Amino acid sequence: MAVAEGAHSRSRRGYYFYLVPGVIGFTLIVLIPQIANFVLSFTAWKGVGTPRWVGFQNYQKLLTDDQFWGSMIHTLMFIVSMTIIPVAIGVVLASLLFDYVRDQFGERVSNLFRAGFYLPQILPITTAGVLWGWILSPVGVANIVFKAIGLDGLAQNWIGDATWALPSVSLMIVWIQVGYCLVVFMAGLSRIDPSLYEAAQLDGAGWWQRLLSITIPMLAPEIFVVVLTTLIAALKLFAPVFVLTAAGPDNATMVPSYLTYYHFFTTQRVGYGAAIAVVQMILTVTLAIIFLRFQARQQATE
Amino acid sequence: MTSLSKLALVAAASLSLLSGTAIAQDKVFKIWHFEAADSSNGITFNKALEEFKSAHPDVKVEFELKTFQQLQASGSMILNSDQAPDVLEYNKGNATAGLVASQGLLLPLDDYYKSEGWDKILNEGDLVLSKYDDRGIYGSGHIYGISVYGEYVSAFYNIDMFDKAGLKPPTTIDEWVADMEAFKKQGITPLALGAVDTSGQHLLASLAYTKADDTWIQNYQGLKAPLDGAPYLYAAQTLVDWVNKGYISKDSTGMKDPDAALLFTSGKAPMYVSGTWNLGSFSSTIKDFKWGQFVIPTPKYSVGSTGNLWVVPKGSKNPDLAAQWISLTLSPKYQTELANNGGIAIAADPATITNPVGKNAIAVFNQIADKNGLGFYPDWPVPGYYDVLNQKDTGLFQGTLTPEQFVEQIKKVYDDVQSSQ
Repeated sequence: MAVAEGAHSRSRRGYYFYLVPGVIGFTLIVLIPQIANFVLSFTAWKGVGTPRWVGFQNYQKLLTDDQFWGSMIHTLMFIVSMTIIPVAIGVVLASLLFDYVRDQFGERVSNLFRAGFYLPQILPITTAGVLWGWILSPVGVANIVFKAIGLDGLAQNWIGDATWALPSVSLMIVWIQVGYCLVVFMAGLSRIDPSLYEAAQLDGAGWWQRLLSITIPMLAPEIFVVVLTTLIAALKLFAPVFVLTAAGPDNATMVPSYLTYYHFFTTQRVGYGAAIAVVQMILTVTLAIIFLRFQARQQATE
Repeated sequence: MTSLSKLALVAAASLSLLSGTAIAQDKVFKIWHFEAADSSNGITFNKALEEFKSAHPDVKVEFELKTFQQLQASGSMILNSDQAPDVLEYNKGNATAGLVASQGLLLPLDDYYKSEGWDKILNEGDLVLSKYDDRGIYGSGHIYGISVYGEYVSAFYNIDMFDKAGLKPPTTIDEWVADMEAFKKQGITPLALGAVDTSGQHLLASLAYTKADDTWIQNYQGLKAPLDGAPYLYAAQTLVDWVNKGYISKDSTGMKDPDAALLFTSGKAPMYVSGTWNLGSFSSTIKDFKWGQFVIPTPKYSVGSTGNLWVVPKGSKNPDLAAQWISLTLSPKYQTELANNGGIAIAADPATITNPVGKNAIAVFNQIADKNGLGFYPDWPVPGYYDVLNQKDTGLFQGTLTPEQFVEQIKKVYDDVQSSQ
């Protein structure tokens, strides 16, 4: 009976039991669909009927598909609006709220701002899309305001012109993402020893100097996490493009996830859509691994 | 008791809960359609549904409202599952109804066609899009669906604005251009357009069909030959010309159909090109001015077709009830109801129609159908062509694609599918 076994190994075995729901969920929701998707990427399939094996044909076609390469280039630009700009704005805003606004106006005002910046994260993306659609439509709020204050030259066909469509979607994404960065960074800031700032202040360091030499290095773990999560989100970006521009005009805002969706559901080239998804997944996982390695090395040197 | 057997017990208990609900069900009949409640089809179908419910008190009728997009995107997967309803409205055409029919997911309705007497109501022309062969191509084979209405694309125009400007609805393209020039001179952008949505490609196709003959339409819709781009080149050149002359706003690339329709219904734009599915909502929303429709002047073909289909999934548990439902919507009572709500009833008796909008629309539809002029929709031959045309349209309107590049790019997609079928 169990009496013969050590208490240690027995409790260990008990823990494995708690993994069961997770493993079942992971297998059903992640593992099996991933494997199915991988297999499908080597077939031609219309969504119903029997898939036909075509080997690497889908991947071969990907190499010369302008729509696919265009979507990859757009992804690079969306990394800027999904990760780089929100992180930069997030660090500056978090530190402003944390050590300036809070000191000058109190905890309440600072919390109010934090909640305000976080609001776009809570808002359903479809609602946000409709709102931004009203703002950016040719007869929308943005153009009405510009014309009312005499800046007619600034009024543009924001989402219908290839020059402006990508920046317009990017603007909405920055608006959504800043709140997420801000909240994580503010939590991180409360971890930093205040005496560091006091010492720097006594030595005559200004606000920007303190930001660059104390806040940013001390926030490195948080920045790593935020950059990694937003980077992954950027690589699989779908909803903002879907609700605002539907990848238009003339594919100016096409992204890989939208292209997958398009081939899965409208062209009936499910196998081809699966191939795009596989490439996208390999890129995302590779990037995540590189990043986690890099972070582990950074931490080891500290 | 070991932990594992506890788990098994919990699992067994939850399973038995699930099966318990299944036993308690009565006879359930599921109907799906995607017609908005204020559209002529929606009003009619919902009234018919009430009658159907009271005629079958022993049956629990479950109705679900879907969207066109929903069925366009995932209809085949739904029909392939055990979640399929007993009867549903399904998108017509090779890429949708044809595809699922060819995969054996639909019940052939040939027997019901005779036994329910539909053969006395519908003619062969009404059945072109009901029949699909074993490759899923329309025009021949078993009957897989029944349409109870028709639709076509035309120009809606503001009669008051036309009268004020001393203009008449055009009967040729030249007259149309002259009308638009007259409005332009008054500082009005004559044609409202949502290039992001359907109306861009419907205008494009309407213009292309002015240069289309029987062979072109048959080849194009039947994927019989590589695309002859000449009609599309003419259409693209004309559209670019119209944008440059200010007949169509360059901003249309940032507008969806509802935005463009609003320009028309609010009396800002005198014309809007779109389908007859707007008739119901225009009838109820436009109060401030008189409006009408004119058919875009073409020698023979107009963008239009018989409507979407009632289909019965292979897995339907109540096919007889499904057939009775279809019969009800085809009956004189509901055909007249449809026409009186501004819809294009496929088999209504003109003498019984009191609504002038429905009466006129049916007359125009019959005029097109009688000369076999239904040219169908431009996105039908190629799966996903709807999005291709929308994307390339916007390129054309905003000036990033020349008409030649436009034709070259849509031809490439068409020819790829044409050669690999």
